[in-house]
Amino acid sequence: MTLFDFWDVLVLGVVLGSLYAVIAIGYTLVYGVLQLLNFAHSEVFMTGGFGGVIALTLVVPVAAPSLAQSAGYVILGICTGALLGATVAFFLEKVAYRPLRRRNAPRLVFLITAIGASFFLYNLAGKLFGRNAMPMPRMYENRTVFTIFDTTINITQLLIICSGVLMLLIVDHVVNRTKLGSGIRAVAQDPEVASLMGVNIDKVVSRTFILGGLMGGAAGFLFGTTNQVFYTMGFLPGITAFAAAVLGGIGNVRGAMLGGMTLGIVEAFTVDVFGDAWRYFGAFGALVLVLMIRPTGILGERVARTA
Amino acid sequence: MLSKRVVKLAIPVAIGALALTACGDDGGGGGGDASGTVFKIAYQGPLSGDNVDLGINMENGVKLAIAEANESGDYDVTFEYLDADDRGEPGQATAAAQRAIDDEDVIAVVGPAFSGAAAVAAPLYGEAGMAALSPSATNPDLTQQGFPTFLRGVPNDAEQGAAIATFFAEQGVEKAMVIDDLDDYSIGLANVAQQGMEEAGIEVVRESVPSDTVDHSGIARTAVTSGADGLVYTGYYSQAGPLAVKLSEAGFDGIKLAGDGVKDPEFISLAPGGEAEEWYLSCPCRDLDADQEGRDFAERYEAEYNRAPGTYTPEAYDAAMMIIEAVAELGEAADRQSVYEAISVGTHDGVAKTLSFDENGEYAGSGIYIYRVENDTITALGDITEITG
Repeated sequence: MTLFDFWDVLVLGVVLGSLYAVIAIGYTLVYGVLQLLNFAHSEVFMTGGFGGVIALTLVVPVAAPSLAQSAGYVILGICTGALLGATVAFFLEKVAYRPLRRRNAPRLVFLITAIGASFFLYNLAGKLFGRNAMPMPRMYENRTVFTIFDTTINITQLLIICSGVLMLLIVDHVVNRTKLGSGIRAVAQDPEVASLMGVNIDKVVSRTFILGGLMGGAAGFLFGTTNQVFYTMGFLPGITAFAAAVLGGIGNVRGAMLGGMTLGIVEAFTVDVFGDAWRYFGAFGALVLVLMIRPTGILGERVARTA
Repeated sequence: MLSKRVVKLAIPVAIGALALTACGDDGGGGGGDASGTVFKIAYQGPLSGDNVDLGINMENGVKLAIAEANESGDYDVTFEYLDADDRGEPGQATAAAQRAIDDEDVIAVVGPAFSGAAAVAAPLYGEAGMAALSPSATNPDLTQQGFPTFLRGVPNDAEQGAAIATFFAEQGVEKAMVIDDLDDYSIGLANVAQQGMEEAGIEVVRESVPSDTVDHSGIARTAVTSGADGLVYTGYYSQAGPLAVKLSEAGFDGIKLAGDGVKDPEFISLAPGGEAEEWYLSCPCRDLDADQEGRDFAERYEAEYNRAPGTYTPEAYDAAMMIIEAVAELGEAADRQSVYEAISVGTHDGVAKTLSFDENGEYAGSGIYIYRVENDTITALGDITEITG
């Protein structure tokens, strides 16, 4: 592998990694406050993709858009994706998880509900939008923006990396610097004490889902710009992002970011060196190795609180 | 405590699931004692899942044949349709085949559509003594395994692969990348194409991209850096669309060709930036525009379904018509075995081609056609022998 190859593959890996990192946040935030593996998060991601396609199909992008128009389409897509993702996440919590919490249902029931909700949502999407993949309407001419070390970066790649990083910074700020963030961290640490201290747990949980949903939905749209939108599109990226959250230390937001980026890059190099058939061997092999050495994940410190 | 609750929940769920399965199994068998004049023709193929468009193209062909047969008034018996959805997956093929077999009225099957599913379902149809006439399963091995009632109504991939190799040699390709999607059909076609090209002196790089891959940037990069000036993809259109997009982004400028699994208008719409342009498509399916009979068929089909006939629509129509004629010939005495025997030695002059079979159930004939995507439409270039001379 020459240096040129290295940079080339690294770019592909960072593009993938940014998406995984943004999705992984949804898993890790929800796990933090509820100790729940929200498997339906992959469908929040899928909804975001469809949201973007629908919004852009309604607007009908012009054939040769100006810079401002292109930017408008992209922002519209991200916002619709994020809002739709958040809506689904919000109702998911209200309909699927809150009743279980009220009744103090065992953890296993939450997990089964999550898997059930996931199946329900993607089959619903398949019914509503058809089983065929949909391409994202063209928002811009996807040309090369700049070249570093002989590696070209095109608009879509730049868009995904930049908006991914921006979203990660926003989440990091929200979790570490705002009132909602301290609420989330308090509930994650000890829900009973948090509620004694005046934290409204229901509100915090609901908003955590919305925050994760915003990120997941936006990631769905971004994924659609580089690949396509289809009803099962959430499954593999969802599983990978979940693994990324575990790799980084589930419950830890910065860990999810780091884990997502790591898995994306490992995946890109695996594909380049061993071929597509080995895609998930590399990434999940790395996951197993890391967990053998550090069972709590790269940045995970606290042992999960006993429920 | 926890486990008790789970058990409480699990028991009704399990019972419910069992009850549902039971219903599904004997749901079709009830109507067996009808007047004896109703014969069902089943179609087994993908009616859901990623490749549903290919399946529906064929299903509509079968339905049209049945509708026309019933309306014509030429036959004393009535035909009905039964769907057997296998999603195009080997894992679903047993259930789909069983659905057709368990329905006593089903006299023969058009399908299985996909090779992987056909390899699983063909032994079951064999046991049931029921003809399985596939309009599209092109894996060469299928007729070599001694399945008692499997018939193939198209030239197989050995022929298609050889045609691809001839075409690439003709185009002056020196180094080709061959990509399969790890499915039976795909690997089979890729193997033959690779072998043919190597014999023609073309250097071949072989890659596999699993059919559930969502990101094609890696393989596109590999294609560019390999220095290949030709590329063959032997998977299906749902993956070929995004692959075409990424290849164009990565700047691949060699000749691109895909097999019959990609010959669907959906391929073009999955590459909305015109990335499918100039892709060649090989297919053992004939262009309907070539003669009057084909154009008439296309007209009737469009009047019924409001869409143009797709890949293998005429082949599926022909297969269903051949079964219908065989049943009509045998009259009310027709049963699964006698229909199979009649078809296997019979000849049917169809819309797409004349159907007949050799002793292995292999299609007795030839003809691979090359198409090209031009201005967002799949345009026929002609028979491979005409093109390469």
